[in-house]
Amino acid sequence: MGNSTILVVGGGISGISAAVEAAEMEYEVILVEREPSLGGRVSQLRYYFPKLCPPTCGLEINFKRIKSNPKISVYTMAEVIEVSGNPGKYKVKIKINPRYVNDNCTACGECERVCQGERISDFDFGLGKTKAIYLPNPMAFPMKYVLDKEALAPGDLERIISACKYNAIEPEMEEKFLEVEVGAIIWATGWQLYEATKLDHLGYGKFSNVITNMQMERMASPWGPTGGQILRPSDQTIPQRVAFVQCAGSRDENHLPYCSYICCLASLKHSLYLAEKNPETESLIFYIDIRTPGRYEKFLKKAQEEAKITFIKGKVAKIEEDPETKDLIVTAEDTLSGKKIHEKVNLVVLALGMQPNTPNLNIPGLKVDEYGFVISEEGIVGCGCAKMPLDVISSVETATGAVLKAVQTIIR
Amino acid sequence: MGGEVIKIDADLSAIREVQAVGGDTLKKCYQCATCATVCPLSPDEAPFPRKQMILAQWGFKEKLLKDPTVWLCHQCGDCNKYCPRDAKPGDVFAALRLLVIREVMPFKILYSLCNNLWGLPILALIGLFFILFWTVLLFGGVPNFADPNSFPYGGGYYKVWFLELPARVLMIDIIFMPLAGFIAVVLLTGISKLWNNYVETFNILPAYRYRWWQIVKMYLWPAIKEILNHQRFEKCNVNNWRTTPHQMLLYAFIILAITTAIVFFMADILGFHTPWNPLTHPVKWLGNIGGILLIYGSLNMIAGRTRASMENYLKNSYPDLFLMYLILVVGLTGFGIVICRSIEFINFLTAFFYIAHLVAVFILFISVGYSKLAHLAFRTTAVVFDLYYKDILKKVS
Repeated sequence: MGNSTILVVGGGISGISAAVEAAEMEYEVILVEREPSLGGRVSQLRYYFPKLCPPTCGLEINFKRIKSNPKISVYTMAEVIEVSGNPGKYKVKIKINPRYVNDNCTACGECERVCQGERISDFDFGLGKTKAIYLPNPMAFPMKYVLDKEALAPGDLERIISACKYNAIEPEMEEKFLEVEVGAIIWATGWQLYEATKLDHLGYGKFSNVITNMQMERMASPWGPTGGQILRPSDQTIPQRVAFVQCAGSRDENHLPYCSYICCLASLKHSLYLAEKNPETESLIFYIDIRTPGRYEKFLKKAQEEAKITFIKGKVAKIEEDPETKDLIVTAEDTLSGKKIHEKVNLVVLALGMQPNTPNLNIPGLKVDEYGFVISEEGIVGCGCAKMPLDVISSVETATGAVLKAVQTIIR
Repeated sequence: MGGEVIKIDADLSAIREVQAVGGDTLKKCYQCATCATVCPLSPDEAPFPRKQMILAQWGFKEKLLKDPTVWLCHQCGDCNKYCPRDAKPGDVFAALRLLVIREVMPFKILYSLCNNLWGLPILALIGLFFILFWTVLLFGGVPNFADPNSFPYGGGYYKVWFLELPARVLMIDIIFMPLAGFIAVVLLTGISKLWNNYVETFNILPAYRYRWWQIVKMYLWPAIKEILNHQRFEKCNVNNWRTTPHQMLLYAFIILAITTAIVFFMADILGFHTPWNPLTHPVKWLGNIGGILLIYGSLNMIAGRTRASMENYLKNSYPDLFLMYLILVVGLTGFGIVICRSIEFINFLTAFFYIAHLVAVFILFISVGYSKLAHLAFRTTAVVFDLYYKDILKKVS
């Protein structure tokens, strides 16, 4: 009989769901998350599918289940660096990066107020800044600050330490290594956005008003860098006309050959974000095929009714910037009319595809396919977007399935 | 559409034909239209190549025959680079142009000989047959091929009308003049077929249907100027390297055509017979410049296309290789004759190069009408039509 502990790698919606479900069946669970907070991509969204819930809706209840369940041990800022052994009996090495803030932290925020150094927020995809000591997000789990030592301004450290009433700052904290033995592993390391600068004809990084779909989510989020306002990065004005470039990187043999499943739905959702603020805002969706799988066809109807969307069948392959207004001229062939069109818009959103996070992890023993998606096998099971591009509800379903697979390995 | 039934017959043989001559990636296209946008030559009103890709996928060759855009594409390869399906629209277009040549030209067997590897030895044997046949006839039996003074520079003179022609010159005139005439006639039938197709398809109003000499006067010269400058080529991005070698090849052909005309006039008509000194004779200088450009252009083309195909911006199919190497062989054998003639101890090879050169030129003449080299006539036709049509649109509005 092997070990009956289950390791869940990745603390996004899939990993959290897997951890909770396994723990609620009385299995010991170790949940490892690379970032300082659980929540993953869902916590970065304004609304998520299928019911357009805000992230608090799904995450809070799960955080509560984790908190009240003694079977789950959570490690944030932690990475799996080595896996050895066999199904039923794995040895896993985990590296825990220093947070420089200990468990005394109550997230009172006194340190943040006195800190002067700033860092670019990767949580906001570069759209905003945080202080060098920061709370990952308003609903972080654990609700604890993190210190980015490299972003500290001179004198910051002394100010922060003296501002903290709870003795929570530990600048000498060092990285720790942990070795655990587990019976099965669930990979739920999720996804990242395809690198937009690789699409050299779409102007991302060159033109300030070309943004990614995830930047759109952050701007629409009430606790995002703009406080929920959707603004043009160049001049912080409200865009009246927005172009969405579908299949930016997806279904493209030069980039991601597969369909990323969610981008069409995301752009429809973004049109609704715009309509929510101002129903007159125009959305131009340039598509190859609008893919709204299964029952999401209903969502397409909803977006068509509630937002002012023009659908143009033709992929955008050229974006130019008007240097004065920073408006963008988007060129595509409208294949239904057979003419090339040049549309002037205030903002361009690239509907970028999903790429698994796995290739960056480089774990020997983990099987992935040619694109980096996890190939499940006895003892190591993938779920969520580490397995394939999925929406939230399907990710959660694959998590449940992964738990069953993990349990089968353990009790066999 | 109601209860209307639209029946579409896909022409499978046309599809296979396109796939066989370099358009094998045709079916990968999923009509995203990236190509039409990244193409530096694609106009707003009638963008290509997306539309032609779907026409070709269904094998609608009639529609392609009526479409000048097939020729307005210069195979820049920008579409190939950005195509998300690796469907290589640029290379498919090259295949579509071959399809048009095949459809529009009479004597399709000549097309097949030029565009299939199996046709190459047949073409060479046909050329060799004519050359040897007339050599034996005009040189009074089999000459000594190891002695340049026996062949090609022997065989006596023939009096034709008021002209005094050496045997080799008469042999060349007898073979190549009818051949050139034949190619010119079949090309003209092809050009007029295409032109009439275009005029019909674009519904040119009767008031603007000019007579052919008016078209030539008004639009051919601007088209030729544009072609000489390679204006459209220069807009290409990924295969921009092609502009110079292609332009050099065009200039080489023009220079060599002029040289040939001068030689014909001076030697055949006036009786100043060749061989002339390659280093001192001014007409020879002209010929040498043309020959050097020909070799330079074709070598650069071969090297460039090989590199581009490794970078996946362009594909080399048999019809491409056939033409590039044919031009190279024409250039090399041409210089081969002069070199062997001038150097004592390789003198005996002169006849070999002489015959090889004539065979290569024989194949080249046929290529002008039936290989991708026919773009010289048909692309010019399409560019003329393009200028003509744009001009009419301006006049109408």
